Amino acid sequence: MKKHKGWIVLIFMMILALSVVGIYGYRRQIKESKEITLVYIPKIIDETNDFWTTLIAGANTAAEEYGAVLEVKAPESETDYEGQNAYLKEILEREEKPDALLISPVSYTQSTELLKEIKAQGIRLVMIDSNIDENIEDIQVSTDNLEAGKKLGEYAASLLEEGKKVAVVGHVEGSSTAIEREQGFREGLGDKADAFTEVVYCGSQYEKAYELAAELMEKYPDLGVIAGLNEYSARGAARAVRDAGAQDQISMVGIDSSQEEINLMEQGIFKGFVIQKPFKMGYLGVKYTIEMLKGEEVPRQVDAGSELVTPENMYTGENEKLLFPFK
Amino acid sequence: MNKNRHAGVLLGKFRSIQNAIFLVMALLVLSAIGIVTVISLNFTRTSIYENTITYTRQLTGQVNSDIDSYINYMENISSMLAENSDVQKFLFGSGIQAEEAGEQLMSQFATVLNSRSDIYNLGILQANGKALFNKGNSYINSYVDISQLAWYKEAVENKDSICLSSAHVQHVISGERPWVITLSRYIPDQTGKKEGGVLFVDLNYSAIRKLCDDSSVGKKGYIFIIDKEGNIVYHPQQQQLYNELQTENIEEVMNCTSDYLELGKGDSKKLYTVSRSEKTGWTVVSCSYTSELLKRSNQAQELYMLMAVILVAVALIISSIVSKGITRPIHKLQSSMALIQEGDFQAGNVEVDSRNEIGSLTETFNVMTQKIQELMVQIIEEQQAKRKSELKALQSQINPHFLYNTLDSIIWMAEEGKNEEVVVMTASLAKLFRQIISNEEEEISIFQEVEYCRNYLIIQKMRYKDKLEFEIDLDPDIKGEKIIKLVLQPLIENAIYHGLKYKESKGMLILKGYGLEDDIIFEIIDNGVGMDQDTMEHIFERHKVNYRSNGVGVYNVERRIRLSYGQEYGISYKSKLGEGTVATVKIPKERRDVHEKA
Repeated sequence: MKKHKGWIVLIFMMILALSVVGIYGYRRQIKESKEITLVYIPKIIDETNDFWTTLIAGANTAAEEYGAVLEVKAPESETDYEGQNAYLKEILEREEKPDALLISPVSYTQSTELLKEIKAQGIRLVMIDSNIDENIEDIQVSTDNLEAGKKLGEYAASLLEEGKKVAVVGHVEGSSTAIEREQGFREGLGDKADAFTEVVYCGSQYEKAYELAAELMEKYPDLGVIAGLNEYSARGAARAVRDAGAQDQISMVGIDSSQEEINLMEQGIFKGFVIQKPFKMGYLGVKYTIEMLKGEEVPRQVDAGSELVTPENMYTGENEKLLFPFK
Repeated sequence: MNKNRHAGVLLGKFRSIQNAIFLVMALLVLSAIGIVTVISLNFTRTSIYENTITYTRQLTGQVNSDIDSYINYMENISSMLAENSDVQKFLFGSGIQAEEAGEQLMSQFATVLNSRSDIYNLGILQANGKALFNKGNSYINSYVDISQLAWYKEAVENKDSICLSSAHVQHVISGERPWVITLSRYIPDQTGKKEGGVLFVDLNYSAIRKLCDDSSVGKKGYIFIIDKEGNIVYHPQQQQLYNELQTENIEEVMNCTSDYLELGKGDSKKLYTVSRSEKTGWTVVSCSYTSELLKRSNQAQELYMLMAVILVAVALIISSIVSKGITRPIHKLQSSMALIQEGDFQAGNVEVDSRNEIGSLTETFNVMTQKIQELMVQIIEEQQAKRKSELKALQSQINPHFLYNTLDSIIWMAEEGKNEEVVVMTASLAKLFRQIISNEEEEISIFQEVEYCRNYLIIQKMRYKDKLEFEIDLDPDIKGEKIIKLVLQPLIENAIYHGLKYKESKGMLILKGYGLEDDIIFEIIDNGVGMDQDTMEHIFERHKVNYRSNGVGVYNVERRIRLSYGQEYGISYKSKLGEGTVATVKIPKERRDVHEKA
């Protein structure tokens, strides 16, 4: 009788031990299966645009590396804030909310209300590359655009011959990057601020930039420097300079680079560009977002940095690594 | 011997043997399991770790030789192309002949490119601008100074060997600028007239990536390649490294002289195994996370711990069962002993369920208690027999003086013609004797006992005519109750001979009998001379036998009452010198069988 009881106790203990192991294993599985979901809305997805392609690649790399699901949705053009807002509305109506929204807002002002609503739903907000008029984001990862503009301005000033003029082809009027870069550029010109003529906006269209540059060349015969404030504006303007055969008179400078711009630099049309670090921006944006969601301490504001590339240093190892994305 | 005593002392410190056995067993099992677990844990850990190191070393070596043979294969392709006579014709010839050679080469290039997806570019070129790339649809980047390209320069400088670049951006072809590894070789003009050209093969990473990534150890482990200068040839996180988003311990690896090293701490501790290639000059480095390598050992650890816990639980249960098994018969023995101590001999028959020492102890104990029980029964029987024979002796001990005196009185009365009185006295005497002789029973009814006393008193009253008066007051309710024989009469006799006989005036003797709760009380009250304290104290002594009565002393009566009814019953005396004496007898209403109990 007593021995019998002992066996029952024994079997009971075994079952207990097994169930403990089972629960332990099960819980571990659950823990692993809970994935972080992120949505990133860049300004555009454009295969011809190295900046955005690289930035999105960086974001995807980090998402893969840190184990998160990243969904990338972008409007058709860099001026299409309504397209971005449509995505924001769609997210607001979702049943399954993403853990965080990363966005490179097209407009400085037009998406603010929607982003506030997003924030109110408990979705963390991360700004990449650009900003809005209100400080509601959890993290901001961008180039210090003022600094980038300033570098470009200083370099432009060094290229500028006495008595020549400077014109700027901006990208999207009212976007934070355009505002800051222009301001930085003007500061960078320093003594030669008088040479500044005007800013025109191409709406991030190659053709528009081309036309505007052509008009500028016509309007200011003594133009010495044209600065493009992003890839679209710089590239379009450079094409115009190339087609006009004006590279000896006009030094083209810009922000961001692309394969075509590098070719144009080799051809002597581009005298320099300040490159941002889009891969780093995308990567750090996602990385810090994930770390923040995991409750880790992350910086609120991240400057990805920028470098000035000139025909003289474009083939150096360090610049190659930045200019040519490793695929 | 000494040891045994120590063990005994140790065991003796516990309040129960069961606890002692349980504790000792549990301690032994716990320490045994603990030691075994710790040893096997350590052993597993080191052996798994060492195995992993050996394994990653082999793996790294394997990747290295795979890369060697891959590069070797590429060199063969480049040799095959370089030794083609069309190359000479194209580079150093002119006119239609060179064009035709170019066509031939292009188709050869196309064949190679179609079969090898890991070749990005294939081409020959000369510093003077003569160039042929891929399938003919790629053109030279005219803005690049070819002679300044590192791989071109190297090939020209090392004319006899095949040069292998690190990872670099290929600028020579206009359009795309991919990151490639370039294999270049110098092609001299066989006629020796012109400056030689260079044949190059650009390798994309597909093959090398596959070789490295497929062989990485663990989920997080990876393999990377660095060249002689410490530049990265291939790294799975090349882009992150180039953007300074990740770091790699290249310097430490470069400085490492053995073929493995450990870097970092805690969870990020990494194990680097290094394999250097003579052929390529590259170093293949396999990096794995120690935490991952030890994952299996951690799993083993968990398993061991679980097993240990289960084993300990089982061992505890078993030791508890065993210790209980050992001490249970002892406990049974102990509790039965306690019962026997209380006098319950029925508990003496303990069930024997083991054949060991305790079993035989139990058996012996059973025999012993049985013997004691038998002896007890024997003693009781002997006691009873003794009491009976004592009573018999009492009954036959009629004081001859009493009989003689009574008979003398009868004679006097007869002579005086007091016939009636003679009749009464003789009848009383007859009744007295009939009762003494005839009744074999030990117990009689109270009525009978009192009648006996009455007859005795009648005789005595007639004898001491002026001296004795008596009164019997018996509660009729107790008439039917039982009493042992010859309890009251000796006390009455005592009262007459010691109290009333010495009284000057007429004495009075009252016999009272009544029930009091569960008891019956008899009082023999006389107003005789009484007793002083000293006499009263000695009244129960054995030798105080009244030889003039029928020899039954107070001591005897008292002893018989106690034997029959128990210690709480008996006789008590109250007396005052000159006033009288009261003897009180207490017996139970219904007789309790004291013998059976004892």
